[in-house]
Amino acid sequence: MTRSLDLSRPVLIAVAALLAVMIVLPVGWLVVYSLSDKDGSATLGNFATLFTDPTFVDPLVTTLIIAVSVSLLCCAIAAPLGWLVARTDMPFAGSVRTLVMASLVTPPFVGAIAWEMLAAPNSGLLNQLWRAISGMPADEALLDIYSLEGLIFVIACYTFPYVFILVANALDRMPGELEDASSMLGAKTWDTARRITVPLALPTLLAGALVAFLQALNLFGSPAILAIPAGFHTLTTRIWSLFQFPPKPELAAAASLPLLLLTVLLLRAQAMALGRRGYAVLGSKYGEPRLIRLGALKWPAAGLALLVLAMPLFLPYAALFNSAFSRVASRIISFETATLHNFRFTFLELSSTMPALKNTFLLAVSSATVGALLALLIAYIVARKAVAGHRVLGFLATAPLAIPGIVLGVGLFLAYTRPPLTLYGTLWILLIAFVTIELPAAYQQLSSAFHAVHPELEEAGRMLGATRLRTLADITAPLLRSAVIATWCFIFVAVIRELSAAVILFTSDTKVLSVLIFDLKESGDVGAIAVLSLTMVAITTVVVAAANRLGGTRTAGRLHARAVG
Amino acid sequence: MASVELKGLTKCYGAAVAVDDVSLRVEHGQLVCLLGPSGCGKTTTLRLIAGFIEPSAGEIMVGDKKLSSPSRTVPPEGRNMSMIFQSYALWPHMTVAENVSYGLRIRKLDKVTIDAKLKAILTTARLEALAERYPGELSGGQQQRVSLARALVVEPETLLLDEPLSNLDANLREEMRFEIRRLHDQYRYTTVYVTHDQAEAMTTADLIAVMNHGKVEQLGPPEEIYSRPRSEFVARFIGGSNILAGTALDASRLTIAGAPVRTTGRTLQAGKPVAVSVRQHEIGIALESPASGADNHLRAVVARQVFLGSARDYTVQLDDKTELRVTAPPGQNIAPGQTVWLHLPADKCRALAED
Repeated sequence: MTRSLDLSRPVLIAVAALLAVMIVLPVGWLVVYSLSDKDGSATLGNFATLFTDPTFVDPLVTTLIIAVSVSLLCCAIAAPLGWLVARTDMPFAGSVRTLVMASLVTPPFVGAIAWEMLAAPNSGLLNQLWRAISGMPADEALLDIYSLEGLIFVIACYTFPYVFILVANALDRMPGELEDASSMLGAKTWDTARRITVPLALPTLLAGALVAFLQALNLFGSPAILAIPAGFHTLTTRIWSLFQFPPKPELAAAASLPLLLLTVLLLRAQAMALGRRGYAVLGSKYGEPRLIRLGALKWPAAGLALLVLAMPLFLPYAALFNSAFSRVASRIISFETATLHNFRFTFLELSSTMPALKNTFLLAVSSATVGALLALLIAYIVARKAVAGHRVLGFLATAPLAIPGIVLGVGLFLAYTRPPLTLYGTLWILLIAFVTIELPAAYQQLSSAFHAVHPELEEAGRMLGATRLRTLADITAPLLRSAVIATWCFIFVAVIRELSAAVILFTSDTKVLSVLIFDLKESGDVGAIAVLSLTMVAITTVVVAAANRLGGTRTAGRLHARAVG
Repeated sequence: MASVELKGLTKCYGAAVAVDDVSLRVEHGQLVCLLGPSGCGKTTTLRLIAGFIEPSAGEIMVGDKKLSSPSRTVPPEGRNMSMIFQSYALWPHMTVAENVSYGLRIRKLDKVTIDAKLKAILTTARLEALAERYPGELSGGQQQRVSLARALVVEPETLLLDEPLSNLDANLREEMRFEIRRLHDQYRYTTVYVTHDQAEAMTTADLIAVMNHGKVEQLGPPEEIYSRPRSEFVARFIGGSNILAGTALDASRLTIAGAPVRTTGRTLQAGKPVAVSVRQHEIGIALESPASGADNHLRAVVARQVFLGSARDYTVQLDDKTELRVTAPPGQNIAPGQTVWLHLPADKCRALAED
């Protein structure tokens, strides 16, 4: 028998080195810059400025207020809604669940733009409608989206679905016996909910609150669109403003570090909240949990759910469609006034549309391909413990999770505007950014797919005489195919909608769709913005639907795994 | 405390009938087992009694109160019953003491009473040392005892058990069987116990209801179910029986593989096919041929034999190739291939009802 060259060691080192460069280089430069002054000598002055200058302290405080409010608001909406959908006989529960998840397709900054169309003080459609109904004078407004409250509301609209999904899934998985046992001992429905269901769902809700907090903390698009016109900054928009002329990268680096540290801490807290209480519940064939009968409250509950859905979904899309088909964005269209003018303008006349679309597709396809392959390689090495030291790879692959997009943007800017690798101004720097940002999610997805393929399935192949490679090709690859494609789609979608890193790293030649939409905001071309936003959502929807379809077939792999496991 | 009575209880899911016209009376203090294979409707019956689901027809009475009928069903929390779940359903966020005292706290008893009752039941269930543990830190048997204690401490009118031992290993299962019976004898709750394990039913029940396809096939004390199965299904399910097919000769005799066999049980109709059940250990096996013309002797050939220590398990083949299992004393060693004579005592050959 010939022994093939053992490539595992060099492969491990190469992958580890690549990951280290991807993460250590930008973060390292961040730290170096944050400790330097303009001339490059060491100083702590940046941090002194950060914590004394009100133009930094105010955004920091504002950001914390927003993050706390968003996370409370999200829990207040998502927990009851999740409970209604998962545990009661509310009508249309299935549709509500699907629609809440569908609202995640909307990039948050598109949602912010749509809410601008709805609730800007003068031109906002809802304000116009209210003036028409109530006779309020034209210089007053019912709603003002350019405010702290407005910003919190819009961020919550596109964050609560994450909390909702966590809560609804946790309630789905909670065995029905736990509630039935309480009923048998005489507890009324409300007592059971209060003493059993809620405490059991609490760790999940806490984790959801942290997810919402992190999301609000690191979001760039919505605050950039709503806070800046309102005359205040959040931490992310402040960092971005330091890249406007004249650039102050040292201060940007210093301002990025608190964001990075806070994110790392919160992620650890989240892992603890989710991981601590092991539910000592044996699996059983007990069947579906009993649904709680709402009785007369059934229809009000459904009405409430639809009202909640109006905020991230019905109203914003109505506004986007209205603007897309209307010559004057601030007017409500009818069949007579509907026009395709905006589409013609956007796709035929606006010179930056086509290059941006081309860049976006190029980057999405290449990031998805590179990211999925890299994640696959790492997942394989880690899951099959192919080489010693595999744990380090798993850690490195998940580490970017803790780096907010805008912070990574700053770090990459600092790392690649200098020799030997002057990548700034090319698409490469965006590719690196997108692959780094999406790697953790891609890795986690593929790693769970690998765990679902029980090693015994591979071992059975090898016992029958197939080589390791042959087994990979004949058994593992077919079982993983759909997971890989789903991961590819996932990265593709995430790249298309990415704004916070791109907005730091783009140049006029490397503009992508999200940055183009953001830029058009300044010229106030609402029609084109609406058309491009809808285009982006349409592409996303198609790809997400494809990924879901493929993701569904993965159950075949799981079934096998369970049969042998 | 009171009796539990099911009257014509029926539950349909669309066209599928899960429980089909079940009538059953459990006297006060009795322990009745619903025994049957999975899908026979026993768990649905239990959940109907618990009030988790509503009957399509029929009613459930406890004492003289009507708890379930298609028009009105008292919810589970209003029935003063306790239930032990297959998975135990212990709440992972509460300690053993909190789990057990939950029902007392729901009943808003004062703290002194709760503490006293809690202490008493923990002692009875031998759980005192574990009171502050979480369910995740207990073994399967301990979890099972917590779930028993939690159900008993509220002094229910009726106790329901849903396959309570199926998640335990064999040794523990046997121990817990006696434990359940001991606690039942101590407290004498009216108890309904669902299981698919006939040994479990035999050792714990006062009364067994064998269920199949949503119907009660036979209801009776364990001895009666065991020794006088009424149908082929019951005989097969209880196990340890040979089912032989033959044709009736007259009111009490039939031919099996050409030999006349006298039976007990129901009256036969000449010329009709009949199934007979006879237990493995009630069949005699001998090398000598009986006096010619004697009833209930069949010729067979030994196909296999297995030494089991306390007995010898023979598989024999009749002239018509029907296979029988016979349990013989361990000392009786007959080699495969030899011709033997089986004696099936007339009072042990039970003619079964037609299905």
